[in-house]
Amino acid sequence: MNYITDEIRALIGAETGWVDAFDAVEASEVRRFHHATMDPAPRYWDAAAAGRHGGPVAPPAFPVHAFRRAPDGPDPLASIHDPDADGLSRAFRGLPPVEVPLPRLLNGGYRYEFFRYARTGERIQRKSRYLDIRQKDARSGPMVLIDIEDRFRTVAGEPLLNVVTTTILR
Amino acid sequence: MPQVCFEDVTAGMALPPLVKGPMSSSHIMRWSSAIENWHRIHYDKEYAVGHDKLPDIMVNGSWKQHVLVQLLTDWAGDGGWLWKCSFQFRGMNVPGETLSAWAKVTAVAGAGEFGLVELEIGLVNDAGTESTPGTATVVLPRRNGPAVPYPFDPAVLGAAAGARG
Repeated sequence: MNYITDEIRALIGAETGWVDAFDAVEASEVRRFHHATMDPAPRYWDAAAAGRHGGPVAPPAFPVHAFRRAPDGPDPLASIHDPDADGLSRAFRGLPPVEVPLPRLLNGGYRYEFFRYARTGERIQRKSRYLDIRQKDARSGPMVLIDIEDRFRTVAGEPLLNVVTTTILR
Repeated sequence: MPQVCFEDVTAGMALPPLVKGPMSSSHIMRWSSAIENWHRIHYDKEYAVGHDKLPDIMVNGSWKQHVLVQLLTDWAGDGGWLWKCSFQFRGMNVPGETLSAWAKVTAVAGAGEFGLVELEIGLVNDAGTESTPGTATVVLPRRNGPAVPYPFDPAVLGAAAGARG
């Protein structure tokens, strides 16, 4: 079956505007993050060690996870009692939906380019674009691979990183 | 840790591995909570095994990527810069496994005042099974040269930036 219809193909190139993360980068959030990755680098918590960076910073790829549910956003656990609910959102950064009838969503990988750390207290912006949407027919069945390019910067316009994330629907 | 310099690096050399684990459901829960990831395959074993036919709950790919980034960032030091890295999640990792991030230099090249180091990277479990193969590019200072400017601008690499852009 071909899932890449003309309507799906037409989504390639669709992009969002610059979107602000709801919260600025918080020291507590950075602490829980580097605790969970077991990365005690002082640049994440010690101002003296982070002098080159203008103060404590978040780990390089932290901005990818900085766009959290808004206080009045829909509850991702609202449908968790549905036996098929996987707990994931299909709202790809506010881009138009990719409506293919494949139920499982997997993280396929990342391609990063880093320019600067996000400092504690800074607010991050993101701009997203569908870079590619394609189908692969594996032994286990068809898969649709969605490449989304995200660019992150500070609200002052300083580039932080660019990343292409591959999401797999199967 | 002393700053690694471009002159210290040769093709074929391996970086000291970064070891994490043994991983447990608690480590996975801590990460999922830290980033508010509610994907059930990371905390609901009944769902992971019964619904998604997985062997157990899964170590998050999003966590594994940061271990690779940590390996490379630590190695580059504050005077160097991890410019690029990419990886694919090709295999699953589950509680009980000890995971080792590894990197091996594949090429070195001068780039203006600095040096470019290309690496193969990955993450293996106790059995040596690769789950997260990829590549990376690190920019290093030269011995007695300036630190890589921060924030990093690829333009400081001159023509080498365009060749790898």
